[in-house]
Amino acid sequence: MKLSDRIQDDVVILEPTGKIMGGPDASLLHDKLYEYIEKNMKRVVIDLAQVDWMNSTGLGILISGYTTLRNSNGELKLANVTDKIQSLLTITKLVTVFETHDSVEDAIKSFDS
Amino acid sequence: MDKPQVKGNTITIPSNAKFLTDVDEFIEGQLRDWGTADSVIADIAISVSELVNNAIVHGNKASPDGVVTVSIRRSGDTVTIDVADEGGGFNPAEIDDPLKDENLLKEVGRGIFIVESLMDKVDVRVEGRGTTISISKAIA
Repeated sequence: MKLSDRIQDDVVILEPTGKIMGGPDASLLHDKLYEYIEKNMKRVVIDLAQVDWMNSTGLGILISGYTTLRNSNGELKLANVTDKIQSLLTITKLVTVFETHDSVEDAIKSFDS
Repeated sequence: MDKPQVKGNTITIPSNAKFLTDVDEFIEGQLRDWGTADSVIADIAISVSELVNNAIVHGNKASPDGVVTVSIRRSGDTVTIDVADEGGGFNPAEIDDPLKDENLLKEVGRGIFIVESLMDKVDVRVEGRGTTISISKAIA
C-alpha cells in the first residue's frame, strides 16, 4: 500500500493505494491519520478509489480513526468506496457505521451541511 | 528462517507480518495463472491475508522463530489453500459475534467471520505440530 495526503477546504484527504492487509503498510495509514488528529485536524476523508481491497486489519484502522475522531468532536468519512470494500462493509454491518460519499468533493461539502 | 521460501505450490514465511505481501503475490499469481476472475482473486486474497495474520499473531504468538506455511492446490474448478502455523488452534464457536451491536466498533475480531463469508468452505484442524486452516472456493 502507498499513501498520499493533502488538505482541501480545511479537510484532510487521505488517499491510500493498493491493498490494506496488515504489517508495515497498514501502519502507514494508521500513523498518518493520528498525525493529523494530533494536529487537531479533525475533519477527515479517506478516499478509497485506488484501494484494491482491504481485510479486517484495514477495517480496524478505519474504526479506530472513526471512534477517535468522534470522541473528540471530529468526523471521518469515506469516499469512492469500491464494490469489493462496500461488500465487506455490508457483510460486517459496518455500512451502518461509516458515512460514505460518491466523491471526495461530496464528502467535503457534507461537513458544512 | 529469515526470508520467504517458495517450493512448488507452497510458500513458507517467517512469522512476521511484513511478509504478508510475499504470500499475497504468490497466491494471486497462481490464481491469475488459472484464469481466475479479479473479484474471486480478491475474495481469496483477503481470506488468506486474514489467516496468515492470525497465524502470526495468535498461532505463533508473533514468535520470531515461528513460521507460517501456505499451500495452494486446484481440483477441478475448486481451489483449496492450507494455512499452517505452530500454535494450539482455536474454536471458531468461541469467537465473539462481530455483528452484535456491542462488538460493532471493536477494532479486531472479525477476521474469521470475513473468511467464512467470502469462502465456500472453511476447515480447522489442530494437529501435532500446530493448526492448519483449509479454505476452498470455486473459481469458475
